[in-house]
Amino acid sequence: MNNGAGRRINGAAEEDDDEDDVNGDLDAWERTYTDERSWESLQEDESGMLRPIDNQALYHSQYRRRLRSLSSTAARIQKGLIRYLYIVIDLSRAASEMDFRPSRIAVIAKHVETFIREFFYQNPLSQVGIVTIKDGVAHCLTDIGGSPESHINALMKKLECSGDSSLQNALDLVDGYLNQIPSYGHREVLILYSALSTCDPGDIMDTIQKCRKSKIRCSVIGLAAEMFICKHLCQETGGTYSVALDESHFKELILEHAPPPPAIAEFAVANLIKMGFPQRAAEGSISICSCHKEAKVGAGYTCPRCKARACELPTECCVCGLTLVSSPHLARSYHHLFPIAPFDEVTSSHLNNPNCKLQRNCFGCQQSLLDPVFGLRKQTRACRCVPEVQTNATC
Amino acid sequence: MKFQIEDVTVYFPYDYIYPEQYSYMIELKRALDAKGHCLLEMPTGTGKTIALLSLITSYSLSKPQTPIKLIYCTRTVHEMEKTLAELKLLHNYQIKHLGPQARILAIGLSSRKNLCVNPTVLAAENRDSVDAGCRKLTASWVRAMAAENPNVPTCQFFENYERAASAAVVPPGVYTLQDLRVFGKEKGWCPYFLARHMVQFANVVVYSYQYLLDPKVAGIISKEMQKESVVVFDEAHNIDNVCIEALSVSVRRQTLEGATRNLNRISQEIDRFKATDASRLRAEYNRLVEGLALRGNLPITDNWLSNPALPDDILKEAVPGNIRRAEHFLHVLRRLVQYLRGRLDTENVEKENPVSFVASINSHAGIDQKTLKFCYDRLHSLMLTLEITDTDEFLHIQTICDFATLVGTYGRGFSIIIEPFDERMPHIPDPILQLSCHDASLAIKPVFDRFQSVVITSGTLSPIDLYPRLLNFHPVVSRSFTMSLTRDCICPMVLTRGSDQLPVSTKFDMRSDPGVVRNYGKLLLEMVSVVPDGIVCFFVSYSYMDGIINTWNDSGILKEIMQHKLVFIETQDVVETTLALDNYRRACDCGRGAVFFSVARGKVAEGIDFDRHYGRLVIMFGVPFQYTLSKILLARLEYLRDTFQIKEGDFLTFDALRQAAQCVGRVIRSKADYGMMIFADKRYSRHDKRSKLPSWILSHLRDVNLNLSTDMALHIAKEFLRKMAQPYEKIGGSGRKTLLSEEDLEKDGRWRHG
Repeated sequence: MNNGAGRRINGAAEEDDDEDDVNGDLDAWERTYTDERSWESLQEDESGMLRPIDNQALYHSQYRRRLRSLSSTAARIQKGLIRYLYIVIDLSRAASEMDFRPSRIAVIAKHVETFIREFFYQNPLSQVGIVTIKDGVAHCLTDIGGSPESHINALMKKLECSGDSSLQNALDLVDGYLNQIPSYGHREVLILYSALSTCDPGDIMDTIQKCRKSKIRCSVIGLAAEMFICKHLCQETGGTYSVALDESHFKELILEHAPPPPAIAEFAVANLIKMGFPQRAAEGSISICSCHKEAKVGAGYTCPRCKARACELPTECCVCGLTLVSSPHLARSYHHLFPIAPFDEVTSSHLNNPNCKLQRNCFGCQQSLLDPVFGLRKQTRACRCVPEVQTNATC
Repeated sequence: MKFQIEDVTVYFPYDYIYPEQYSYMIELKRALDAKGHCLLEMPTGTGKTIALLSLITSYSLSKPQTPIKLIYCTRTVHEMEKTLAELKLLHNYQIKHLGPQARILAIGLSSRKNLCVNPTVLAAENRDSVDAGCRKLTASWVRAMAAENPNVPTCQFFENYERAASAAVVPPGVYTLQDLRVFGKEKGWCPYFLARHMVQFANVVVYSYQYLLDPKVAGIISKEMQKESVVVFDEAHNIDNVCIEALSVSVRRQTLEGATRNLNRISQEIDRFKATDASRLRAEYNRLVEGLALRGNLPITDNWLSNPALPDDILKEAVPGNIRRAEHFLHVLRRLVQYLRGRLDTENVEKENPVSFVASINSHAGIDQKTLKFCYDRLHSLMLTLEITDTDEFLHIQTICDFATLVGTYGRGFSIIIEPFDERMPHIPDPILQLSCHDASLAIKPVFDRFQSVVITSGTLSPIDLYPRLLNFHPVVSRSFTMSLTRDCICPMVLTRGSDQLPVSTKFDMRSDPGVVRNYGKLLLEMVSVVPDGIVCFFVSYSYMDGIINTWNDSGILKEIMQHKLVFIETQDVVETTLALDNYRRACDCGRGAVFFSVARGKVAEGIDFDRHYGRLVIMFGVPFQYTLSKILLARLEYLRDTFQIKEGDFLTFDALRQAAQCVGRVIRSKADYGMMIFADKRYSRHDKRSKLPSWILSHLRDVNLNLSTDMALHIAKEFLRKMAQPYEKIGGSGRKTLLSEEDLEKDGRWRHG
């Protein structure tokens, strides 16, 4: 858990790589001063002694918070399984700062990639689009779609940062796109905001109200500090606002957005959606792919309505517009509706009690539970390794 | 919740209480038990007001045989309303638990401007003209005239109030100024006179400092309040200055010209009365022979507020013979004005003490000390006799009489300073004669003598042992409380060096050094790029602020700052500043971010809160010492050294540091809030300066943060802001209990007693 040491090793490794081009104009002693930041991994205790930063308390409180949110979702809550999410990435000047290693934008790109994959894994029926803000203008980098690869590829090509940032422009753009989404889809925006101010052409409060009216849930992850306007935006539209402490925290925060959020009550009317379950084409059959506009051999899916060929699932048929999914996708989406019950915490003194009938080894990793214990599931028991196993391995 | 503190059951309207509120109440109760005065320091945002109100009202409820009255003094009308709103909440809670026996009457009292409901009077723009407008409609002779001639306008609210006579009472309850106006409108009674009348019956009275401290208006309480009262001065860190201002008078050329005009008008009036109604003047003469004390049975609307700072014998003694007749009094005043004019025509700065000044008046103008002493009251009497209602026109002559009375009354603790020009602009002659009071204890002495307990409380009273010396009283309790926090939500830092390791300071010999100016600019520039929303900067003076902003503008630093945040500047013009503040808030709200440049000791530093996102960081550029070449300050320092044995350096540092603490304290107004404070001057790292900061700041000022350079401060700021942006848990976990419930207190009580 002590990431200070880990970061230091990373830092040292990277320093070797890029010291010449980045810090060329600095003296050697200055370089250690600005790069290594050895003081960051130390803090002073009450008596003035230096000791490594204790992140244990912080992680424990985060863990408790997760536990609480889990128990609150144990009650049946309607969840939006078909999500239309725009990821807004701030590529203003502030994103090129180096307080995250090697730079904020590199860290963002890395974790957006993980997030997009995780997102499609958990929400196979949903779609994502990417918007970037640069020089005060918002651009649509990729249209909303269901292919993780295309988004990731497009993003990796465009990582230059410059200019100011404008929240209003981004929201206006996204609002325009999301308004065309069919009513059963859940509209969401996830903003990864590096800047500490926003230069807007008009009154941003109006834009926020507009988003609220069109039921867009806006969430923001800040990289530097808490901004009032972001907090206000999230409060108004029902999203969450968080600020990353360091890289691992950022990863945690962004992945928290992967499971579907509870649906907005007034918006969640039950209705029927037309879907096609296409057959996998036979090996070796040649057909013209409707998405890539070229002839392909084998391993495709055929739309049951118009017989067009699609390369991957889930997607929307390019010809007739039918939503194409496979049944495992549906099943995988489904597990969000029935989350696993939260774990009961068991103290080690309870386990040491000879009368206790519980097993003393973790269900998941088979390690002894007599080490500090974090959580225990109702019937079986497991240490903290299991929730991760659970989310990754079920369905 | 309700709990015991020794023998008192305290009713507290919230479910949880902060530990420091609890200990505050315990100390306060001991002071009340001892019937003595006390001095309590507790940081803002910890609920001082509710702790005070809750304990004092509960104390009074638990001892029904000796009811005590609470007189709560606030600095502004806004604070008054806030206090009354809290009291209302508390009162409802007490009634819910105790039933009707807990009923109290609590009212706020303010000037006519805030309480009047008569639309024609309210149309006037300032306080003095509202007062005069009211007198025009309600003075006894105006009403007598109206009784004969229905065309003379009167105020129907006041007429209704008079008609209701003793039936005009306010039922028990808590009344804010707004409530009083509504009640007055509903019943058709004048809220101002109703409130003044009810002050003597109310259990709780909330009003501004001036009603107790300013001798010109304090008369309203001097006879109506019982001894068994608790007087609370909230936000009292500047109480010594308020006391001094209340007894200081300055006279300029314009004042003297105005006074001459006033005298001419009075002399016309006298001639008119002589022709028409000579008996009135004779009646007044007779009354004056018997002494001023008889003024007591004048009708309420004619009653000018008398002067408790004057010794009693003035009120009992007969007025000296040479000013009993109106014409003679006028002559005396003319001679006085003439004499003052002569004194103003000086080339040099002159400093005198009252005794020699009075002697010189006596030899040059032939006015003796006793005559001077009576000027203020004699003028009132004359103006009443002449039935002058537009009192706002006569402010100049009132100032002169005020001056005369103070000079005649006090031989010590004052000095008279005549300056031919403002030191900053020596080419423009602007003579000013100042009677400045050096002894804060003079104005507040009657309050300490009169009332059983006086509570002086504020967020910044450090060093707490200096206030009793300045105000010359002996507190039974003086304590300073720190804030219990669930997280370290304030981050004070002392920045001593710029990023180039050169020291920064506003010391006189260093302040205009380009290196210092550049380092200050760089500091701000670095900070605007890492701090979100609002930043407030305080400078030591307007002239320094103007200078440094000009330099920043020339060197392009200002332009770079503007790329990150908008810049707003406080000016001496109130309207402009209000507009700037308003736009500053809008810029913070909409996410553009803004910097506000302000001046320590200015309006903004005293009264405006920069809480939440309106102030995430406050930078104090330099140590806000007073202008040490000012003649008045020098005279005061000398007096303090001779009388109270307070060293000049100690007082100056104390005064500068309390201003600095006041400035940086603007950013944090509640426990959920967070903010950083940068003291940018190398002198702050010295122990004698630093130790005078309030303990709640000192306890967060870690040794590592004492000697920072810009880049280190920047790094700390980044870390701090990230940490504070994490979700806030109200009830502190893991051993840092910051909210106590009823059970906790019971446990604690048992532990204390058993």
